Amino acid sequence: MITVGIDAGAKNIKITFLKDGEVIATGISPSGFDQNAASEALMNETLAKVGLTHSDVDVICSTGAGRKVVPGAKHVLTEVSAMARGSLFLRPDVRTVIDVGAEEGRAIRCNEAGKVEDFAVNEKCAAGSGAFTEAMARALEVSLEELGKLSLTSSASVPMNAQCAVFAESEVISLLHASTPKQDIAKAIHDAIASRIMSMCRRVGINPAIMLVGGVARNVGFVQSLRTAMEEEVFVPDNPEFVGSLGAALIAADREVETATA
Amino acid sequence: MFSKFETWYRDRHDYAKSWKEKTGGKVFGCFCSYVPEEILVAADILPVRVLGNHQPQDVTEPHLFGMFCPFCRDVLAQGLKGRYEYLDGITIAQSCIHLRQAYNSWENHVPSSFTYYLPHPMSVQTPAAVPYLKKELDNFREAVEKFIGKELTTADLDRGIQVLNENRAAMHELYSYRKGSNPQVTGLEAMWVTVSSMWIDKEEHTAELKRVLAELDSRTVERETGARLMFVGSENDDTDFIRMVESVGATVVVDDHCTGTRYFWNETPIMDDRMEALSKRYVERPACPAKDHVARTRFPHILQLARDFDAQGVILIQQKFCDPHEADMVPLRSYLEENGLPCLFLEFDVTVPLGPFRIRTEAFLEMIGEEDLF
Repeated sequence: MITVGIDAGAKNIKITFLKDGEVIATGISPSGFDQNAASEALMNETLAKVGLTHSDVDVICSTGAGRKVVPGAKHVLTEVSAMARGSLFLRPDVRTVIDVGAEEGRAIRCNEAGKVEDFAVNEKCAAGSGAFTEAMARALEVSLEELGKLSLTSSASVPMNAQCAVFAESEVISLLHASTPKQDIAKAIHDAIASRIMSMCRRVGINPAIMLVGGVARNVGFVQSLRTAMEEEVFVPDNPEFVGSLGAALIAADREVETATA
Repeated sequence: MFSKFETWYRDRHDYAKSWKEKTGGKVFGCFCSYVPEEILVAADILPVRVLGNHQPQDVTEPHLFGMFCPFCRDVLAQGLKGRYEYLDGITIAQSCIHLRQAYNSWENHVPSSFTYYLPHPMSVQTPAAVPYLKKELDNFREAVEKFIGKELTTADLDRGIQVLNENRAAMHELYSYRKGSNPQVTGLEAMWVTVSSMWIDKEEHTAELKRVLAELDSRTVERETGARLMFVGSENDDTDFIRMVESVGATVVVDDHCTGTRYFWNETPIMDDRMEALSKRYVERPACPAKDHVARTRFPHILQLARDFDAQGVILIQQKFCDPHEADMVPLRSYLEENGLPCLFLEFDVTVPLGPFRIRTEAFLEMIGEEDLF
């Protein structure tokens, strides 16, 4: 059975093809203005990559901010369920899933049976999300990749407020004017985001094992800050941005099996 | 079937103005559900609850602290913008300091021929609460009598009590239709009915409600019930939010809001001393968290409601910065979860971010409906 999970995120669309429990292809493209068209184009592109056609796909499950406009989706799920399912597939002992995407941060608590017990999502604030790191990288005039690496070279602890992206940006500029080294500011930015994410995690309760997923898990500086704040090992899978689409593909397969055996 | 209530909900000001024109009567704005409307109805005054309109505004900043709740802000904005210009008087029963500040600013800046601050006991659990409130209600009654230029008789008070009690009984009957496995009344419809009862002439409202109740048994419900939810929290009259929740696979079957069950749940008892009966009613009603101490009597009451209406989960709705509810939320959530009721906490502002709230609600419903993976 081939199932497809499509995670139509705020910034990128991610796709995962699953064949009998094995990932056979993944793809990613910008969401753009038309998520419907972007999803369809990514689907066709990934089908061509693995030499399949639409008729080879048994079922599609969508998730993410644009989940309701994904063409052909039989199942539609929130990111909370999809991220939890994908993370538990990669590590069945995961009890806390932290997902940091372009515009949202989430903390999810799972129980031993693999059920979501509680979750929290960032409120009307971008401080615990990828959009925040992008704004800060712009203020520091470095690329996102450089921001993460710069952060690793600092051992300073510069307090910074990450309650509001606009105020944080003015704090960054003040630090630059005060001749604070760039690497220390980079670390302060990641520490501040980690602190926001920690607050959210504490709201739902933190139980090991902890897994960090979503595109921001690619930021090595943030991962380091989160590990320090968490005082626990934080696992990052190889392709953290595809965990949502993987979870969606897995749930699609689960549901097909349920339907077949019902 | 509920279109009249929807219209009443939407066109509240038009109704009050036409009521005034038709009857020549007076209209009072009530700032809290603890205002004893029986005395106003006995005086042939139309009580209308003052609520916000969920629109951004820029007029209350000089009047209210930044950490006061959005509800009191929205309420005051209505007065400052002249949307209740038809009111002949305003009154508040003490519940929380935020709303009282909105009342005080309104009193100072919006001309009104009658204003009355009604002290209401904050410690409703002490034996002194009923005699204390009785005396305060006597004072309020005297003020109203002075305003209308005549004394209220026992027969007047009986009429006021009967009109309110009949409406409350009809509301209970309406809510009973939400208990079944396939509720014949949605949460949205119940909200139109309950909230509109706070400003429509009660006899007219009861008559329309009885007409609907007579038709409910034969109503065919075509929608899927989905997950059965309870709403608990601060003031909530947000129809856009409840409509959204009921559009993603759920039905709201019961609530604990001052714009819901807390408003109508208990009747005024029949007693020789009518003023004491009224005092008992307003002291013993399901409590606002501002008054629910030393014991938290709300918790077992809310749990009982959830069980009676077979709720599977609870959405905890808190107006941002609402201190009384904020103080209750943490222990209430633990209490409900320990008793098998999963909770979703949402913080409300003047406007509700429907998109992000939809994601949270859908994730909550998925969580409730999820089966074990391992």
